[in-house]
Amino acid sequence: MTLGGRAAVLVWMAFLAGCAIVASQARFTTDLSAFLPGSPTPSQRVLVDQLREGVVSQLLLIALEGGPAETLSRVSDALADRLAEAPEFVYASNGAQERLQADGELLLRHRYLLSPGVTAERFTVSGLRAALEDDLALLASPMGTLLGPVLPRDPTGELLRLLELFQPEGGPPKREGVWFAADGERALLIARTRAAGFDIDGQERALARLRGLFEQASGAENASGVRLLVTGPGAFAVASRAAIKRDVTRISLLAVIAVSVLLLAVYRSPRLLLLILLPVITGATAGVAAVSLAFGSVHGVTLGFGATLLGEGVDYAIYLFSGGAGDRRFAPADGRLWRTLRLGVLTSACGFGVLLLSDFPGLAQLGLFSITGLLVAFAVTRTVLPQLSPAGYRARPLGRLGPALLALKQALPRLRVLLLIVVALAAGWLALHGGSLWDDRLEALSPVPEADKQLDEQLRRDLGAPDVRHLIVAFAADEQAALETAEQVGAVLEGLRDAGALMGFESPALILPSARTQQQRQLALPEEATLARRIVEASQGLPFRAGLFGPFVQDVASARQASPVRLTDLAGTGLRVRLDALLSERRDAWVAALPLRGVKDAGAVAAAVRDLGLASAHLLDLKQETQALYRSYRDQVLRFALTGAGAIVLVLLVSLRSLRRVGDVLAPLAAALVVTLGVLTLSGDRLTLFHLVGMLLVVGVGSNYTLFFERQTFAGGDPERTVVSATLCNASTVIGFGLLGLAATPVLNAIGATVATGALLSLMFAAVLAGASGRRPR
Amino acid sequence: MGGVGRVLRLLWPLYAALLCGQAGAQSPSSAEEWGLERLMSEFAGVQRASARFVERKYLKILDRPLELTGTLEYRAPDHLERRTLTPRAESFVVDGDRLRLEDARGRKRTFALQDNPVLWAFVESIRSTLNGDLSQLQRFYSIALDGGREAWRLSLTPKHPRMSALIDVIRIAGSGGRIDTVEIHEAQGDRSIMTVLEGSP
Repeated sequence: MTLGGRAAVLVWMAFLAGCAIVASQARFTTDLSAFLPGSPTPSQRVLVDQLREGVVSQLLLIALEGGPAETLSRVSDALADRLAEAPEFVYASNGAQERLQADGELLLRHRYLLSPGVTAERFTVSGLRAALEDDLALLASPMGTLLGPVLPRDPTGELLRLLELFQPEGGPPKREGVWFAADGERALLIARTRAAGFDIDGQERALARLRGLFEQASGAENASGVRLLVTGPGAFAVASRAAIKRDVTRISLLAVIAVSVLLLAVYRSPRLLLLILLPVITGATAGVAAVSLAFGSVHGVTLGFGATLLGEGVDYAIYLFSGGAGDRRFAPADGRLWRTLRLGVLTSACGFGVLLLSDFPGLAQLGLFSITGLLVAFAVTRTVLPQLSPAGYRARPLGRLGPALLALKQALPRLRVLLLIVVALAAGWLALHGGSLWDDRLEALSPVPEADKQLDEQLRRDLGAPDVRHLIVAFAADEQAALETAEQVGAVLEGLRDAGALMGFESPALILPSARTQQQRQLALPEEATLARRIVEASQGLPFRAGLFGPFVQDVASARQASPVRLTDLAGTGLRVRLDALLSERRDAWVAALPLRGVKDAGAVAAAVRDLGLASAHLLDLKQETQALYRSYRDQVLRFALTGAGAIVLVLLVSLRSLRRVGDVLAPLAAALVVTLGVLTLSGDRLTLFHLVGMLLVVGVGSNYTLFFERQTFAGGDPERTVVSATLCNASTVIGFGLLGLAATPVLNAIGATVATGALLSLMFAAVLAGASGRRPR
Repeated sequence: MGGVGRVLRLLWPLYAALLCGQAGAQSPSSAEEWGLERLMSEFAGVQRASARFVERKYLKILDRPLELTGTLEYRAPDHLERRTLTPRAESFVVDGDRLRLEDARGRKRTFALQDNPVLWAFVESIRSTLNGDLSQLQRFYSIALDGGREAWRLSLTPKHPRMSALIDVIRIAGSGGRIDTVEIHEAQGDRSIMTVLEGSP
């Protein structure tokens, strides 16, 4: 080993050690919102934030099934009792009245500040008289018992008004006193986790606790046949993370084994195998280190790309040991090898490089990881591998393989017509199905399995929580301003509801009125002595016992002195859960959301809200917005893909300096892309933006193989070696991406399947089209 | 007082209805020993019955009882109807699992009995009795029978804790296959007595 060579090895070892240290410190995440871009419009940000952090992301929907209603109801009660005690949950309910007690007490205590029925007119003698007559009618009715206990405190019926206000749609049906699906097959509960939705560790702990408590509850009730179903964003996030972990571990392991077996089978040399793997191992370690330094954390999906890096990174070493370049004294022919390899690295880097520019942090990580990995693997192959292998070291592939592959390669050009037909068929298929090939739903990017999504939709329907399509969003500087804005908007919406433009709406201010409104209600309440006189006068001639309404007079007197109800007063109630879904603090602003029901005239609603002159309030059509959001994501990826492809063409033009030669390299690629798309969609799968990323990578990765066919003579002029190493390189890449295609996580699956198919077809088509332009290989 | 019906269904399902009916008597085969099952079998053959009623409610918060009058109707197997005529018009109609309410102002609401075990138990105290369905009655109540065929009294004690928190006992008295009075004693001390009057309305 020369001095320079020894230095190179030392530098490499130090570099590898450094990268290993950085990589070992890296924090790993699996948050799939990393695959959503970071800077949509403000209203879209509300959506994305809501998905990531809102109360919605903390709600778990729980169903119990597999038993008679009576058993399910007992387990439901037992589970709800235990959830209420568990520190991982801030709220749990199964609809049983006992569990709504906190809400009932809160409403009773603050009814004169919270009820919209509190007006000065209501507390005059005639207003009170009307209320008392209503009370009497109710007492006489079959439901009179309802009123008895609370009547002395609340003759004007504010509590009942509030209860009705907060249950406009009636909630889910009940059996045996607890929530049930309409068909009676499932008991239903909801629980809100203490952990935020994006805190997947916290969600995982909460889920584990929930399962443990369910075991206890069903054990205590001797209901062993009852099954627990859980859905909700937290449950999905935990399941997705587990799926990513499983995918990444399994795929990486399989890729290492499969590539190793392939190389061992062809070369029958463990030593060579180790040498070939060295650049990849260094590259992967450097990639993780680079991502960790640049992003602060490494996404699990990025690690999944280790498998593909393995597939592509071994190429350089295979070429090295196949050609004359194993000799550290470069022969003139080696110069061409390295130029071709360098061009291959450059085109791949262009493909991955545009991902770096993307707003999707996840895709940017993939780009950085792959580029770093490839460049480092290439550099290690170029500078270190020759030092570690004996002079003139050559791989000796299996004797029979070379001639067989060569014969195949020479036979392939006869299939040219067939290829043209296949490409034409694929193009026709794609043209025919054009619009329907794409999946335009944002959910298509979601890693949640279809069956789980359907269960979630079913439980949401069962719980009577229909999907909201229209939503008015208002931004304000603080909590009070947000509530006041919501009140203004609410007043307009009431008018629109009466005019029939919509059926109803929710508002944070209906649950918690602004302090200003609460103070106005306090001013409407009469003084203690006045009220005491009026209630006596109002009840003259009615059969109420004398002095019955003392508690009423006292409650009103203390309500006049009370300080307004604030957000914090609602802690631990179901109302707080609902309020948090409608009112939240986002970065530097408070956001009030008013979901609308049954909108018939969205134009009128939007216009009325605009006419309010509040710059911060506007109508959102969630369906349109999510579609627009998805389209903007896809357009962005499309732009990147075109930019990347353009950059690759440019690199080829500059290097090859011949339009015809560039054409030779690109023609098989184009054919491969068309047929790949055809193959992917033939099975009925629809394409997402991840497939688009995959197509970009087909261009970046596939060009490596067409390049080598365009420059056939790199392996010391030995055509057998050329075809063996090109096939081997391609096979390792197809293995890497192909295994990725087996993943359950959509981003891994889509990119893997696309690139594996595309890379394989690129090589085959390059062989079929070799010499098509009439030029003989040099 | 809007919303009460909803509260009943949704949030505070404490309160229920009282229904009653009158059954056409069947002549018993007096050779067998008279008891709960014989009483039930006397009701079981009734297809249709109707009557007027007077109900008095004694409530702690009032210094005199409330008095209501109206009509009752039963059709086998599961239709039950109570219409109050004074002091205000109101109706309360059960068909199978559905309960329809209409108050004096014409507001209508519909509930499912399944959703509300307390309400359901109330309905069944009358409906299962009239239907002669002992097993259904026993699902909700512990049953005691006093007296003889000519003057009997059924005491129904709720089994469900949510029901027994409200109701101590329901006493139904009658003679032969006929109901004379229904008394409801609430846990809070309030009570009501409904007297079923002879004849169709």
